[in-house]
Amino acid sequence: MEQIFQSLSQFWEYTGFANCSWQNLVMIGIGLVFITLAIVKEWEPMLLVPIGFGMIVGNIPMFPGLNIGVYEDGSVLNTLYQGVKQGWYPPLIFLGIGAMTDFSALISQPRLILIGAAAQMGIFGAYLLALLFGFAPNEAGAIGIIGGADGPTAIFLSSKLAPDLMGAIAVSAYSYMALVPVIQKPIMLLLTTDKERRIKMPVPRTVSKREKIIFPIVGFLITAFIVPSGLPLLGMLFFGNLLKESGVTKRLANTASGPLIDVVTTLIGLTVGASTQADKFISLKSLLIFGLGLLSFVIATTCGVLFVKLMNLFIKNPAKKINPLIGNAGVSAVPDSARVSETVGREIDPTNHLLMHAMGPNVAGVIGSAVAAGILLSFLG
Amino acid sequence: MRRVLTTLVVAILTAAGLHAQNVSDLIISEALAVPDSTGIRDDYGRRSAWVELFNKSTGTVSFGGCFLTDDRSQLKKSLIPKSDLRTKLGPRQSVILFCSGNGQDGTFYAGFTLEPGKTVYLVSNDGRTIIDSLAIPASIPAGKSVVKLAQDLRQQDFQPQQPAVPSPGMLNGDQNAATKAQAMAETDPHGWTLTLVSVSVVFCALAILWFLFWLFFDRPAKQAAKAKALAATPKTVKGTPDAEVAAAIALALDMEAGGDDYAAIATAVHLYLNDAIHDIEPGFITIRRSESAWDSKSRVFRKLPR
Repeated sequence: MEQIFQSLSQFWEYTGFANCSWQNLVMIGIGLVFITLAIVKEWEPMLLVPIGFGMIVGNIPMFPGLNIGVYEDGSVLNTLYQGVKQGWYPPLIFLGIGAMTDFSALISQPRLILIGAAAQMGIFGAYLLALLFGFAPNEAGAIGIIGGADGPTAIFLSSKLAPDLMGAIAVSAYSYMALVPVIQKPIMLLLTTDKERRIKMPVPRTVSKREKIIFPIVGFLITAFIVPSGLPLLGMLFFGNLLKESGVTKRLANTASGPLIDVVTTLIGLTVGASTQADKFISLKSLLIFGLGLLSFVIATTCGVLFVKLMNLFIKNPAKKINPLIGNAGVSAVPDSARVSETVGREIDPTNHLLMHAMGPNVAGVIGSAVAAGILLSFLG
Repeated sequence: MRRVLTTLVVAILTAAGLHAQNVSDLIISEALAVPDSTGIRDDYGRRSAWVELFNKSTGTVSFGGCFLTDDRSQLKKSLIPKSDLRTKLGPRQSVILFCSGNGQDGTFYAGFTLEPGKTVYLVSNDGRTIIDSLAIPASIPAGKSVVKLAQDLRQQDFQPQQPAVPSPGMLNGDQNAATKAQAMAETDPHGWTLTLVSVSVVFCALAILWFLFWLFFDRPAKQAAKAKALAATPKTVKGTPDAEVAAAIALALDMEAGGDDYAAIATAVHLYLNDAIHDIEPGFITIRRSESAWDSKSRVFRKLPR
């Protein structure tokens, strides 16, 4: 009898109830909030469901040493986490993004590329603020990249510059990407006049197949020669796009933009969520990162919208003016921020469709954030 | 046949390039010719002369099959065994080879003794290409080595320095050199320089992209579209002003068409004028077969009896 009690007591020590702390419960609660937002509000469900569930998985209290935790060498979760830690999930996601992105909107109106560059100010604004808050330059660079509004790029750069902060940075980047409609809309309304919001942009010209094929090759050569440190992201992005546009590798493009990106997105979401183990995640630094991440999104949106207004000052022909509501799309949250431009534009004038125009700066933002990540890596890595 | 030959040439060139790149990343980073009583001992307890090889690349390099020599006319003097798995050198790692005078002592022993005034050579596994060399001054004191130093631990460019305190197996460089982030914290504590430079680079990269596509694609395409539109503009009948024609069309529409027709006509005209009637067509047509009661499989096939 005594042995039975002893065994039960020993078993109790291994249960989650015996090893539970309030921090674990907080993180499980946050995970549940993520899942609820994804299912009820349909905010980025592809990201928030895996991340939210990963948070619950990573915060199940357990007896250390059983070789099952995400930070325990050789465990299943740890093996899957290597894709995040070593930084090879993000380039695979970029391959898929490239294979599903149509750069026509950008090629037909090349001037919109510059909006994608202006919105990257969010990255550097957050970098300056992070330095002000006492972060080391490499940590500040990793935090700044949240402003690129690009989850894979944020994971890639933080895994190289500040691996300890990667969990907080990744969760922050993905959370704010899901909240793009909430964050961007008030800023766009605040910075534009009613007249500006009603600007109708000319229909973009038709882009030939030859242009679509040349774009990924020329784009890659130029950006990679300027910032070779962005090679993994830029190479995969443009390679994926070439697979799509060449027309002769349809099966490869379909795999990259379908099953491959789905598998990697599932794994990256789950493991990033699981990496938010309470003992490593709940800290003042994480809170600061969340605050700075939000500010970086605000700066990026502001700079994008203001830059369009600046461009309009130099455009004399009223028919060629740019609607500043597409300025927010310079951040690379594809296609969410472009959708925000469309929604806000139609609220003012239901006949004004901005989606096609906003996709230009949106995909330019993807290139811009990869370039910015490469620069930060070469300076701070 | 031509394709096979091309593939073969490309494969050979690639393989040769990769191989050369691998072995050429090795350098003789340090050598000690005259050991003193404080020098390191080999596996036999002797204080022999030694040379240190260093892999300056960021990938693993195998030095098995290479040769060490102190005689330029005899490049294959001492072979490093290629079958030993320990002859793989990790990135930025070094290995010590003792010059005991007897290559049979083991993998990491050379078949000659190193003497002051001579030069030691590392020869590629082809037995002809000298990868690196290091000259030992005739006047070098006992217990002092010749070292190739880099300014920081990541550098590729190494400069010989002698005499030096031996540091076998250690990275030859400034161990206290600051990391990039540390250096940045000192030179640019508030981050303004990095921000300005980075923003300029992002803008430059994307501006170049914009300029090229504007110059070579966007502008010619727009000019071509304009020329096409001009060529396609129907000539007005002599004596009938445009305004009058437009008024006549408007009147006719007003009499015969409803609001939906206006919208359809306006959309069609708008698309036509902006040259956006069609996207590029795929070039093939899919014909869906319609089945009648006579050829429909589901109707013709006998159903299974219950």
